[in-house]
Amino acid sequence: MSFWLPTAHALLARSDLPIPAWLFAWGASIVLIVSFFALSAGWRTPRFERDHWRPLGAGLSRVLISRPVQAICGAIGIFLLGLAVYAGLEGTEAPDRNFALTFLFVTCWLGFPLFSVVFGDVFRPFNPWRAVGRAVGGGFALIAGQRSAHLSYPEALGRWPAAVGLLAFVWLEIVYGASGGIAVGLSPHPAAVAALVYTLYTLTMMALFGVEKWCQTGEVFSVYFGMFARLGSFAFDDEGRLGRRRPLAAATTWATVPGSLAVVIASIATTVYDGAQEGAFKGAITQVFEWFADAGIGLTTSLRLSATIFMLISFCGVALVYLIGVRGMASVKGAPPLAKLRSGFAHTLIPIAFAYLVAHYFSLFVFQEQAQFTYLLSDPLGTATTDLFGTASGGIDFKLLSANAIWYVQVGALVIGHVIGLVLAHDRATACWGDYRQAARSQYWMLAVMVAFTCFGMYLLSVANA
Amino acid sequence: MTYPSKVATLLLALALSIALVACGDDGSDADTAATTTGANATTTTGDQETKQKPAPVVPTIVIRDGAPVGGVAELDYNAGDQIRFTVRSDVADEVHVHGYDLAKGVPAGGSVSFSFPADIEGIFEVELEERVEQIAEITVNP
Repeated sequence: MSFWLPTAHALLARSDLPIPAWLFAWGASIVLIVSFFALSAGWRTPRFERDHWRPLGAGLSRVLISRPVQAICGAIGIFLLGLAVYAGLEGTEAPDRNFALTFLFVTCWLGFPLFSVVFGDVFRPFNPWRAVGRAVGGGFALIAGQRSAHLSYPEALGRWPAAVGLLAFVWLEIVYGASGGIAVGLSPHPAAVAALVYTLYTLTMMALFGVEKWCQTGEVFSVYFGMFARLGSFAFDDEGRLGRRRPLAAATTWATVPGSLAVVIASIATTVYDGAQEGAFKGAITQVFEWFADAGIGLTTSLRLSATIFMLISFCGVALVYLIGVRGMASVKGAPPLAKLRSGFAHTLIPIAFAYLVAHYFSLFVFQEQAQFTYLLSDPLGTATTDLFGTASGGIDFKLLSANAIWYVQVGALVIGHVIGLVLAHDRATACWGDYRQAARSQYWMLAVMVAFTCFGMYLLSVANA
Repeated sequence: MTYPSKVATLLLALALSIALVACGDDGSDADTAATTTGANATTTTGDQETKQKPAPVVPTIVIRDGAPVGGVAELDYNAGDQIRFTVRSDVADEVHVHGYDLAKGVPAGGSVSFSFPADIEGIFEVELEERVEQIAEITVNP
């Protein structure tokens, strides 16, 4: 039977080599040593929980939130989304030659988390749906002379719509694109259609519940990129003033909205699935696929079904590891109620999620961005007839990164993510437990959770594409 | 840290180290296995098991009905080697080496040979471009 899963993203012509055993061993050893050091050298009062937000120059804030700047940013966002949809609908179906796929799934999907950590929530001003929603809302207020009324958002739903949307987005990216039992990857046309459907859905929800409310809870990309922005130090306060605080401090208040835990678990799980389907899960997915195919289900449906099952298994697995850790912490004397612990440590997974992203997509991002700014920019439709900026004949220099450079970035990201996760967990524990000794004891559990995630991440890298 | 918990953490560390060493062994075994099967699968002429430096046997990938005989061929090289292989096909198509971005047409019933230096590390697909059929996977180790 002609069947295989793609060795990497359908977009990319070069796949990463699995990390060698010696590097795996070194990485894991460093993780263990750092972890034990963290246990013995922990601080006793929370350092990130009560950090103050300090305003930066008022002039800069005024410029950044001024109407013209907001309007220009919004217009850029709308233009780029429109360009991607247009390219997807009208351009070539070759995934690597069409602007749409690289722009949506690499430049934005992988670029915004990175920029959000460094510069704060940069997606917000460029969010095309928010821009449209605000413009429509402003127009309505102008004509009707009053602000539009909204339904009250069910608070218990919290960020659950975003968590579901996140899974759906990644499902579309790496599961849906199957044909004849072969995971060929998503084509530009269905990606453009999906973007239009999502636009309709998002604008409807914004009309129902209000633009800002939906951006905080249901709009997948605002919630997802905003989560990573919490790791950095720049943020606007409620009055729209730009300020900065200690890096990581903003993460401590992120998970107070219901469903946040599901968002961060979904973001780890989707990366786990994408990494594992190239190695660790490959045999098992093939097995399940063959069962379905033998049962008389069509090849494409069989492949989608088996991949979907393993994506859900990844989600449940990540959730299970975290919940075991929470359950363990709850057994320590003086622990807060289980529900409070469960959401209370959710933000400690954000750095793990970011580390997984870097580990799995760093090389893809570096290579594919070369395409983005050369031929995809000059020839967005991939028709080989346009050359807007004279860069259409450019290409990807695959020699830019050696295998060793990729390996060190991958393992380095996981180790740093691990350390930051530990720092946040330790800090939260000192806030939850009045008694320092009990707080330290509770952290054996989170330590085990973090070691599990980090070593599993390295394991995935060591068997990827193997 | 109390004494029992110290013992527990040390045991955890020990268990993990053992697991790691075990994983490491697995990895290298799998590597060698893959290399040998790769050479066997793709070499139709050379059935001699050579332990000493073999005269470079150029692997041939045979295409029957538009698909590689014996599945996707695995070709392993180290950076700096010369990558050589031949594709013999019963269908006309274009053989495309991804990453290195080399493409040569092959006529039905004919063959085409590639020879180029392994100067990009990573894993690359070789594909029958028109059929979108992967026929080989080239691995270039650092």
